[in-house]
Amino acid sequence: MTCDQARIQMLGGGEGKDFAEHLESCESCRSEVSRIGTLWQSLDLLPTEEPSGKVRDRFYEMLGAYRQGQASMTMPVKQARPKMVWQVAAAAALLVVGLGIGYGVREDRSRPELVQLREEVASMRQLVALSLMQQQSASDRLRGVSWSYQVEPSDEEVMNALVTTVNHDPSVNVRLAAVDALRPFTGSPATHVMARNAVIQALPKQTTPIVQVALIDFLAELKERNAAPELRRLVSDPDIDSGVRKRAEWALERMQ
Amino acid sequence: MAEVSGGQVARLGVLFERHHRPLFRYFVSMNGNRELAEDLVQEVFFRMLRYRTSYDPAQSFTAWMYQIARNAGVDQARKRGTAQVVDIDTFVDRRAELVSASPGPEESVSRGQDLALLRRAMDQLPEEKREILVLSRFQGMKHEDIAEVLGCEVGTVKVRVYRAIRALEQIYFALEKERAS
Repeated sequence: MTCDQARIQMLGGGEGKDFAEHLESCESCRSEVSRIGTLWQSLDLLPTEEPSGKVRDRFYEMLGAYRQGQASMTMPVKQARPKMVWQVAAAAALLVVGLGIGYGVREDRSRPELVQLREEVASMRQLVALSLMQQQSASDRLRGVSWSYQVEPSDEEVMNALVTTVNHDPSVNVRLAAVDALRPFTGSPATHVMARNAVIQALPKQTTPIVQVALIDFLAELKERNAAPELRRLVSDPDIDSGVRKRAEWALERMQ
Repeated sequence: MAEVSGGQVARLGVLFERHHRPLFRYFVSMNGNRELAEDLVQEVFFRMLRYRTSYDPAQSFTAWMYQIARNAGVDQARKRGTAQVVDIDTFVDRRAELVSASPGPEESVSRGQDLALLRRAMDQLPEEKREILVLSRFQGMKHEDIAEVLGCEVGTVKVRVYRAIRALEQIYFALEKERAS
């Protein structure tokens, strides 16, 4: 056994008669084994990092949403509620796209299959976000809104789902979260006009002051002058909460 | 994984409980960013779920999982427009906090400093050398599995592990010399 062979073998346990014999006869390798061995062992002493509990929560949330999505795929379309139809269609489309790309993860990154595979991952994120936003439980819908941050901000379907949530969700918390989640869409060339208009149109539909203020802040941040008529209406409406009126006044000043 | 691949997706929970910590440590060792590492762990399990039918039960599950993890890391680095590079200063600061969080006898402090130095040496290793050490030492993977993940021969893995530990040794001693001067 040569020195090179012995040194390579040492980290794999250094077993075998040849290895032992070589060490016996080679001082240089004995020294190397001792030095490198110590360093190798001390790697074990480095502090280990532990993930936060959020990782587990997010995983089970994702798994639950995925299983719900799967369950909706097995429902006959005739029996599906209208609002579930898009889920079935999306899931079926994904299934078709998914066929034959399984080996993609092992292939070269520049291959078209991998491009397709990434697209499918994006579609799955969309499916999870949309599925969760349709759930009965407010906490599930809140998670759906959180998932929307993981889709491309050019995704119109998710943006529309968020707008629907802002306008119709019974939970104030979910509506507030959806207002925040619309922000990325106002920065995307594909959706910014629609997203801005949606925020303007959402304002008169709101009756909860905290959500009204969130929308006003958003419009002020965007310096959205098209919102001025609606803001003026709020300022002059005596039935509107005084805090909201003041905020609308502030937003109008900021836009000038 | 074979059960998950066969449609029992709930069984992925068992794999998550078994592997999410090692995966997290792999990503933290590679990019030094806890938050990003948590996102990547999530991404790996998401991809495992999505591409479960591509899993071949004859293949090592660990190797398959780390292939997905490597791809997820590369995709993320590309998305961020950076290679998976550790911010050494941030990392060293955090290690220093870890060391100082549990003050003990002098030996402990000295050992803590040595470990901080070792950590710095790890962070300064070129990415491919750091990765092979992380996989073989921290993740305790067999050379055969690493060969599958990296797409090379087992013999090549052994040589690369040896070269990586030698490179680590050189960096470590250079840092030690720097500290002493």
